[in-house]
Amino acid sequence: MRKYSHLGLSGMLICCAAGLIAQTGRDAYRQAYDVWRKAHADLERDAATGGPEQVAQADRAGAAAASFEATRIAHLKSSAEEAAQRRQAIIFQTALTRPSTDLEPQAAPGLVAGELQTAARTIARFADDKDRGIQQFRQALERERVALTALSDSIQASQKTVAATSAAGAALEGSRIKAAQAFGHQAAQLSPTMEQLEKESAAWSDYYEKLAHAIQVTNAPPPPVNVISAAPRTDSLPRVSLPRFVGAWTYPMVNGIFHGMQPEFVDLVIHEQGGHADGTLYGRFKPPAGSATDPVVRFDFQGDFSGTATQKFTLVTSDGAQGTIELIPGPAFNLLEVNFQTAPRVNRIRAANFILVKK
Amino acid sequence: MKRVVVLGVLGLAIALGQTPDLASLEQTAQKRNTEWESIAKDLSERMARILPCDPRYAAGITEVSRASEARLAALADYLRAASAQAFAETATAKVLLNTEERRAVEVAMERADTGKEQTAVDTQSDALAQSVKQRSSLEEPRKLLEQIAAMVRQRAAASEQQASALDAAVQMLRDLVTKFDARDAALRDESIAFEAERARWNGYYAARLARAQTECAITQIGTQAAPARSKGKQ
Repeated sequence: MRKYSHLGLSGMLICCAAGLIAQTGRDAYRQAYDVWRKAHADLERDAATGGPEQVAQADRAGAAAASFEATRIAHLKSSAEEAAQRRQAIIFQTALTRPSTDLEPQAAPGLVAGELQTAARTIARFADDKDRGIQQFRQALERERVALTALSDSIQASQKTVAATSAAGAALEGSRIKAAQAFGHQAAQLSPTMEQLEKESAAWSDYYEKLAHAIQVTNAPPPPVNVISAAPRTDSLPRVSLPRFVGAWTYPMVNGIFHGMQPEFVDLVIHEQGGHADGTLYGRFKPPAGSATDPVVRFDFQGDFSGTATQKFTLVTSDGAQGTIELIPGPAFNLLEVNFQTAPRVNRIRAANFILVKK
Repeated sequence: MKRVVVLGVLGLAIALGQTPDLASLEQTAQKRNTEWESIAKDLSERMARILPCDPRYAAGITEVSRASEARLAALADYLRAASAQAFAETATAKVLLNTEERRAVEVAMERADTGKEQTAVDTQSDALAQSVKQRSSLEEPRKLLEQIAAMVRQRAAASEQQASALDAAVQMLRDLVTKFDARDAALRDESIAFEAERARWNGYYAARLARAQTECAITQIGTQAAPARSKGKQ
């Protein structure tokens, strides 16, 4: 899609696939995998003697494989995003809380010790004094000394707990840094796996196409060593995978992707006969509020399939305007991008761009 | 389970939102320390120059006692906020551990899935190799299938490594949570010890003030008794 290229086509389409499937969990891709394996069955064994039935089976299996790979990639992407989000957790980003060890006044223990000594000295000085007033004074000092002794013990106990918290905080910080690194490394591994899956997805698509072609060619003796058979298809069709275009397509009810005017619904049917395509598109769009634009679009198109990945046909709208339609296969077998333009007409939609899913 | 996690995260956000700025609390605590230290260090010297019944004597002690209370209150505020923040961090770590443990289980299952994919593609590859003997045109897809099999094997190996790496990371997170708990326990001990010390400081200043009152009372006994005696003598 020319217009989508700047948006990151593959990413958009993968998102679309994920949205269409509406599930990105393991169950979703397991389900898609089972569908694929069921469609695939014993295709390689049957390919030895198979005919048109196996060609159709290869197409079905290819579509199922594409669906599985898209779901698998969507799941992996979702996992990677979640992992990245988890790595944003505050405990992985910043140093942890470590209460300051400087908040206990340095002078406090010395001050208490000094007062304690003074009290003890004074008590000793008046130890034998029988004067009632002096005795009262000594008793008051005794109480003060008891309070100071208890305070001194408390300060020491506090200092020990502060040191223990500090040590625990230091040990924690060390572990935090290691764990953050481990998770960072673990999450970074997901990206290459995603790339690998995308390569596999493309390879599977290629494989099923080649397998279908190989089944169609007339049986021939085994090739000589180091010579690759490049047998052409027996029919006159170009080397395009018709199931990527032919069939009934619709705009998804949720998570639809579009550029320009938003579709409300779109139905597209494409038929093929002898390499010739003809189709009909019928849709309703959402023009801007207050606009007098007719929201309905209906046109027919036809033309020959070309050998390129993107197919372009001429169209004629229900009111006779002419234009073109481009059909671009998505990375998943069940996705098709549509891009159409018509001659300008008053209060008529003249262009739209969106992605359809196969019915 | 999801609800518990959501509530946990919500509670955590609230806790974090309510935690005052630690730096400003620390600054206040340090300021109060300085204020207290400046008048507490020479209390005895200053009191020595004032007569016990001079109102400045008791006022001097009260002033230091109040500065001490203000210092300890500021420190209590700081410790409370630091503890709240620390406990919130621990809660985050526990939620994270819970999530990662579940993820590790999923990854182990996904690794098994990749193993099955590998087996399936190997089987396909073997079958196609047999079919090529009957239909030579299948040679090209066979080669491609071999390449795919190699890719799947490579991914299976990577999947194995990732699962092991995640297990190791989760173990580190478990250890981390243990250390979070240890830090929190140490903080609780520190808070308890601090409160005990705070009470002792208050006890000490109360005793110091009581001594001052005793000193004054003794002096007053002497001054009240003397005129009586002189009156008797007269």
